[in-house]
Amino acid sequence: MKLLLIEDEVALRNTLVDYLRQGGYVCEVAGNYQQALEKVKLYQYDCVVLDLTLPDGNGLNLLRELKADGSRAGVLIISARAALDDRLVGLDLGADDYLTKPFHLAELNARLRAIIRRRQFQGSHHIAFRDLLVWPEQAEVFVREQPLVLTRKEYDLLLFLLANPNRVLTKEAIAEHLCGDAVDSADSFDFIYTHLKNLRKKLQEKGADNYIRTMYGVGYKLSTE
Amino acid sequence: MKLLTKTNRYYLLLTTVLFVAASALLYYGLYGALQHEVEEQLFNRQVYLQRRVQRGADLPTSPFEYQMAVSARPRRVGYADTLLLDPQEQEMVPHRQLTFPLRVQGQLVWVTLRKSLVETEDVLAVVLGVMVSVLGLLLLGVVLLNRWLGQWLWAPFRTTLEVLRNYGVQQDQVLSFPPTSTDEFAELNQALTLLSHRLVAEYEAMREFTANAAHETQTPLAIMQAQLEQMLQLPELENPVLATLVSELYGATLRLSRLHQALTLLSKIENHQFADATPVKLDQLVAEKTAQFESLAEVRHVRLRTHIHGVPALHMHPGLADSLVHNLLQNAIKHNHRGGTIDLTLTPTHLEVCNTGPMVSGDPARFFERFRKHNAASDSPGLGLSIVQQICQYYGFAARYYFEPETSLHTLRVEFTPPTTVPAPAAPPAAG
Repeated sequence: MKLLLIEDEVALRNTLVDYLRQGGYVCEVAGNYQQALEKVKLYQYDCVVLDLTLPDGNGLNLLRELKADGSRAGVLIISARAALDDRLVGLDLGADDYLTKPFHLAELNARLRAIIRRRQFQGSHHIAFRDLLVWPEQAEVFVREQPLVLTRKEYDLLLFLLANPNRVLTKEAIAEHLCGDAVDSADSFDFIYTHLKNLRKKLQEKGADNYIRTMYGVGYKLSTE
Repeated sequence: MKLLTKTNRYYLLLTTVLFVAASALLYYGLYGALQHEVEEQLFNRQVYLQRRVQRGADLPTSPFEYQMAVSARPRRVGYADTLLLDPQEQEMVPHRQLTFPLRVQGQLVWVTLRKSLVETEDVLAVVLGVMVSVLGLLLLGVVLLNRWLGQWLWAPFRTTLEVLRNYGVQQDQVLSFPPTSTDEFAELNQALTLLSHRLVAEYEAMREFTANAAHETQTPLAIMQAQLEQMLQLPELENPVLATLVSELYGATLRLSRLHQALTLLSKIENHQFADATPVKLDQLVAEKTAQFESLAEVRHVRLRTHIHGVPALHMHPGLADSLVHNLLQNAIKHNHRGGTIDLTLTPTHLEVCNTGPMVSGDPARFFERFRKHNAASDSPGLGLSIVQQICQYYGFAARYYFEPETSLHTLRVEFTPPTTVPAPAAPPAAG
């Protein structure tokens, strides 16, 4: 999967690129509007991660360019401006999603995967992980070919873990993913704990391996081995 | 009282006083002059009679006997006023008379000469009438002229007032007035335009500063957060001591970022940067938000119930409406206990969140203060209710807090009446 990351802050860009490459993406970068414009005109990307505030231009214009060219790339806006107007304008212009800085890397990944899934496979895509099989469009989960019934939150939690295998997911990132970004994460740790406990129990009942590991004091990790 | 009415009142007062004084002066002046004239005539006749008698002639007999009376008995000498019966008109007519002693052929008699004052009074009446009506017309003219001038001359001033009344700095516009030929008003308009230029520039600077500060702070926070998250993936972080350290650092970064977002929101509200209002369907918003909080409430064993008895017609910025409901609900869940309840009631006039919770001490009014925490060790910055209050203030709602010790029910009520909107046209989306 080929990504273009457009972000002017060097430190943030490097961290994001590292992270995305670790996640198995082919990731190219652009540090300003001109570079970004050149790249989107020359190459095809599966998804563009777009920062709105660039030193030499507005990211929204880049989005307009992309849409005017009929690009098939998905667009995920990342912006420090939480202004609702930006969000609405961005989504109106055809962006697939919008993340406000600062965000959790795991959240970024989950959203990217959702965008790419929607765009590329038109729903005929499944996620396989060890003895798990998930059909996201139908919201169906199978453990060793047996259907697994999950609540909405448990399902969301599982999908979030599956989007970031073998990575430590912080409690905060999980809380925000499940409750929306404005829920005070400190208030909701017991909430994650409850849902995780239930999810684990259901997986074990179906005979799945215990691959959700607790990282003490930090969060949880979906272990590949 | 209107400036014009005030000035007019003084004008009128002065004119009336002058009018009365002038009328009195005119009356007495004219009356005196005419009387003097009559007395002079009477005196001339006296002199004539005295000369004639000195020459040895007899007193003449007047054809109008009432014009001259001769008496052998002494009379009061000098000028006097009297009323005599006019034989033709059969009415009493005022006369001026002059009495003097006269020796006629050795015999002393008192002669009284009289002259009618009727023509004098007629003249007086005519002159006075003309003068008074001219003065009266003048007075009326001044009043009418002033009124008309007031409407016409002060029209630019009223236009200026109207423009000022409709002016809001967040409209990002400089004041503009129609041109006026009156120097004073032109100067006033010019000064106001200049003032609005400065206001707009300063407002713009402040807004930019807030936006920049928000952006510039969020970016390093985003870097910190992302890098800490990456750091947590390192194999070295399997060490629980290190992991705890980094995770606490990570949590603190998140708190800082939250605090920063809340403060930015507060300052944005204070700077009136949420001018564009759209009709808000509060019932939908409440449903959305309760759905969002439901699972959290469930885990906490808190029963969340909504009672919708009507929907207020509100014009609000959608982001602020969201924030209002969000903070109310968050507050109710946070300060609740296991097995507690939250009752959210929406009526056309108010939104009320009533929840169980531990006893609180202190002045309820202070709960809306910034960084006010029930529990100092709490992770939350304590800005939720400040944001609620700030939003209420912005839209002219009233936010009230009650606590019932017997049932330990906390009630936060937002009263929408009077329904207020912020009249401002939609600002163009800021480009970045």
